[in-house]
Amino acid sequence: MSDWLVIDGARRLLADTCTFAAVQAAEADGWCSIVWDPMEAAGYASLSELALADALAVLTVAGEHAAPVPLAEAALAGWLLQESLPGSVSVVCAGDLRLDAGKLNGSAVCVPWGHAVERVVAVVDEQAVVVTVASAARVERHVNLAGEPRDTLVFEQTEPALVRPVACDLHQRGALTRAALMAGALTAMARLTVAYARQRRQFGRPIAAFQAVQQHLVSIAQDAALVGAAAEGAARVAGAFEIAAAKALASRAALTATRAAHQVHGAMGMTQEYRLHHLSRRLWAWRAEYGDEHHWAQQLGRAATTAGPDSLYPAITGGSTAI
Amino acid sequence: MLFAAADLSEQELALQAEVRSFLARELPRGTFAPGLGMAAPRDPAFSAKLGRRGWLGMALPERYGGHDRSAVDRFVVSEELLRWGAPVGYHWVADRQSGPVINRFGSEEQKQRFLPAICRGELSFAIGMSEPEAGSDLASVRTRAARVEGGWVVNGTKIWTSRAHESDWFVVLCRTGDASEDRRAGLSQLIVDLRSDGLTIAPIQVLSGHREFNEVVLEDVFVPDALVLGEIGDGWAQNTSELAYERGGPERWLSTYLVVEELVRSRPELVASERARLMVGEAVARWWALRRLSLSVARMIDRGQAPAAQSALVKELGTRFEQDVLSSVLELVALEPLRDSSSLFERLLFEAVLSAPSFTIRGGTNEILRSVAAKGLSAL
Repeated sequence: MSDWLVIDGARRLLADTCTFAAVQAAEADGWCSIVWDPMEAAGYASLSELALADALAVLTVAGEHAAPVPLAEAALAGWLLQESLPGSVSVVCAGDLRLDAGKLNGSAVCVPWGHAVERVVAVVDEQAVVVTVASAARVERHVNLAGEPRDTLVFEQTEPALVRPVACDLHQRGALTRAALMAGALTAMARLTVAYARQRRQFGRPIAAFQAVQQHLVSIAQDAALVGAAAEGAARVAGAFEIAAAKALASRAALTATRAAHQVHGAMGMTQEYRLHHLSRRLWAWRAEYGDEHHWAQQLGRAATTAGPDSLYPAITGGSTAI
Repeated sequence: MLFAAADLSEQELALQAEVRSFLARELPRGTFAPGLGMAAPRDPAFSAKLGRRGWLGMALPERYGGHDRSAVDRFVVSEELLRWGAPVGYHWVADRQSGPVINRFGSEEQKQRFLPAICRGELSFAIGMSEPEAGSDLASVRTRAARVEGGWVVNGTKIWTSRAHESDWFVVLCRTGDASEDRRAGLSQLIVDLRSDGLTIAPIQVLSGHREFNEVVLEDVFVPDALVLGEIGDGWAQNTSELAYERGGPERWLSTYLVVEELVRSRPELVASERARLMVGEAVARWWALRRLSLSVARMIDRGQAPAAQSALVKELGTRFEQDVLSSVLELVALEPLRDSSSLFERLLFEAVLSAPSFTIRGGTNEILRSVAAKGLSAL
């Protein structure tokens, strides 16, 4: 299969399965077999085996559809281990896990779909540690702003299923997945908001005819374009500079674009029955995951100022090839 | 709205390296007074040097002295000149828009007359669009050209004409016929010598105290048929295409770049603070991504597309960002800049504060640009 087919295949598959009702039901159920099972069957659980830019393009498609499945986690697990695990898997990005004489102890927090997946991968002492969720001493269910599971798993003297050297920087790669998802969600939000403004009529005409409304539409399109360009650039060259810039811009846009999109939608945007919240709540959640706009801007600012004034413009044009 | 990927090719990167080493050699930092983007000083000798390097009229045909290169090549050269603060004032308008619009609509005679000199950096142009009663609403221009034997007699007033007093020519948008029902009908473009009989140029002092703006009054100015640009009556369409060259380029997001570079150079202690790092990091992220959008517009032009909505979207975003960068630097440094400060950073800051309001006005106000961009959102 060529790479374009992989990306287009995800688009078709999600268009068929990831309906409004499926996303709503996923929030109530904490798991979404309707979307996950066909994705897994089509091989999308092994995204990490694709070229990085293609894997991220699939995540952008998933973001457009607000797909309530651990696709990014499957990719991250594969990158960390340099192999794809069979079945469903998630990744631990926070907590206080430690290895004591080879046994796993402590808590993993905010684990995406932690209660529902078969295995999780955690980075402990520079090693990628795989454990089954069934081996956890306790599982507490929580949800993030988007209503997606972000669970706590407690381990007590648990025997890891697998321990490997870590094959990538989880924090950076995680930020890269979130930037890709957010680029997709912003594009979908821009499209949805334009369509709504064209169809909704007040004072005898579509609200899109009002300049004040058009200004919101343009600012959402600008956020979507800027984050799209940044995420695409970071997918091509996944250096520290590009990832930091893309996530900083995506997280910033998560605040500004959702605000404008909700304003255009009025009360309708505040309801469960209308799709906007599938996108806006995910953007708010992803904004903070793997570092928010301040975190990444600080990183970038430190690198840029340390490199000095003469390297500033070369960094803007050359990114991580320059600094 | 679609923006295609925009990485530079090996040849384009080689051009970038060539321009960088040229600037480091010809205009070493500390040996000249850098300007803020396209408002940088005029220096005909420097423009002529660029002409000799083949860096003016880059996308114009070789048979008129151009170089048959791409819009992206021109982008690469101009972004380096702008971020260096190089004196681009003399050739800027001619290279960016007058040359391309003459190449596109001009007669063979006009192309031979103007384009080689523009490519050598020996001709400067001003812009003859705005009038006292026609700012954003250009279709309401009142300057009128009346038919006479062998040409046209022009009467009217152009305003906000930057550098008219030190330029050679300007392309004048004027009325040659009645508006009828279509306000955009009956408009034409004429190439007018700024030293013509009947033409007077009066300065309008800008708030910074610089001599920049002018009012140009045309009283019975004779323009021969040979200097009608394109077709009589096609002025609106031609002018719209000229505006496309004006928008979306690096001059729309680099006007305050040097302020930040000089901040980093001159205030190492301040710049090591968390606040400053945050500010610089946010700006650098935005420059990097905006540049990719802007490059993507140049690529679309090279593919023969007319990305009017995309360039409006980029210009609106970029010019607001130029002002935001300045505000965040001001909030960071806590100082009152002085005009004659011994610090280049302070002098640039001084200039930037006094010119920043124009960023979101010149070349189409942001309010108009948002309307233009909104029309393109159907393609979402």
